[in-house]
Amino acid sequence: MAAGHNDNAAYEKQKRAVWVATIIMGVVTIAEVAIALNWPESWGRGVLNLLFILMSAVKAVFIVGEFMHLRYEMRAMMISFLAPCLFLLWFLIAFMMEGQSWLALREFWN
Amino acid sequence: MAADTHLEKETEQVQDIWNGGTEPMKASYGKLMMWYFILSDAFTFASFLIMYAALRVSSEVWPDPNAVFNSFPFLHGTKLPLGFVTVMTFILILSSVFVVRAVQEGHRMNQKGVLLWMFLGILGGLGFLGCQAWEWNHLIHQGMTFTSNPFGHYTVPEVVDGQTVDVFKGYVNLVHDHETGEFNLPADGKDNKGNVIPENATKHTGTYLFGCLFFFITGFHGFHVTTGVLLNIMIWIQSARGVYQRSGNYEMVEKVGLYWHFVDLVWVFVFLAFYLL
Repeated sequence: MAAGHNDNAAYEKQKRAVWVATIIMGVVTIAEVAIALNWPESWGRGVLNLLFILMSAVKAVFIVGEFMHLRYEMRAMMISFLAPCLFLLWFLIAFMMEGQSWLALREFWN
Repeated sequence: MAADTHLEKETEQVQDIWNGGTEPMKASYGKLMMWYFILSDAFTFASFLIMYAALRVSSEVWPDPNAVFNSFPFLHGTKLPLGFVTVMTFILILSSVFVVRAVQEGHRMNQKGVLLWMFLGILGGLGFLGCQAWEWNHLIHQGMTFTSNPFGHYTVPEVVDGQTVDVFKGYVNLVHDHETGEFNLPADGKDNKGNVIPENATKHTGTYLFGCLFFFITGFHGFHVTTGVLLNIMIWIQSARGVYQRSGNYEMVEKVGLYWHFVDLVWVFVFLAFYLL
């Protein structure tokens, strides 16, 4: 198959995008572990957990957008797969509230 | 006569659509269905992880991940918190990248490229499974089961508002006695931070649900990795036999690749839930 000049340029560009994503994800993972091990206890867990969630979100965006190629698909396709995931946010919040209620009940009955 | 031909042409077009002739959202039927499967699987995993969150929030104490996951193969006695799981994460990310490269080579109809990168991707998947087997084996050896684990804490009775209550003082990794099945305080009498545990302290084993959730969720992920490796091997064999070369496209590599990346995506959240938070 004779690949045209444009095809070749696009291929090289995609190849670079993937390796850049790999390096970013590697750096984020190392940063996560480094932060987990060196975080001073006096700074509290709240900010730390928020940092972890944001850094994981960065990794997730690269996997779904770059590796799974969703970034390059049609907008309708992106929405049809990402919009249902919004339900999970409420799912998570509702069950965390439920968990707190279980804890409160257990303490009450003790 | 002219109307007939028109009708015939229209019927043909409609049939073409129903046979998958028109690609909705410019993605093939197979690719879309793989995406819908992944979406449903994402909800399954999300349900498990959200249940984990609810149960963790409802527990008064939860094992400290830095003290649970601190062993490395061949390095006995050395404590490397999160060291091994970082290696596992890298292996899985790299494996995902190799499969992306296989997909890209497939677009160029480069059979040799697909075979090479897919092979590396399979190796990565097997490497990850090997690491997980070691980690599970190590945790089981330390006494972790569905209902008990040694990653406990200790409390000391203190008088608060005129009442004696047990106050949480620190985490301690208990030592599993393989003969009696009991969990004992470490021989040096020190907790995870190196503080001496007082005489009047009460030891508590790790949170009841920790092992169950860990084995179940990482196990379900491991099952997905296993399936992914098997699918990748099938794709590799088909590529090697030249099936995709003959059919003119490597879309199967892309579809199975999507599943493989999803397994990597789930690991990001399992890593977050069990090892970081």
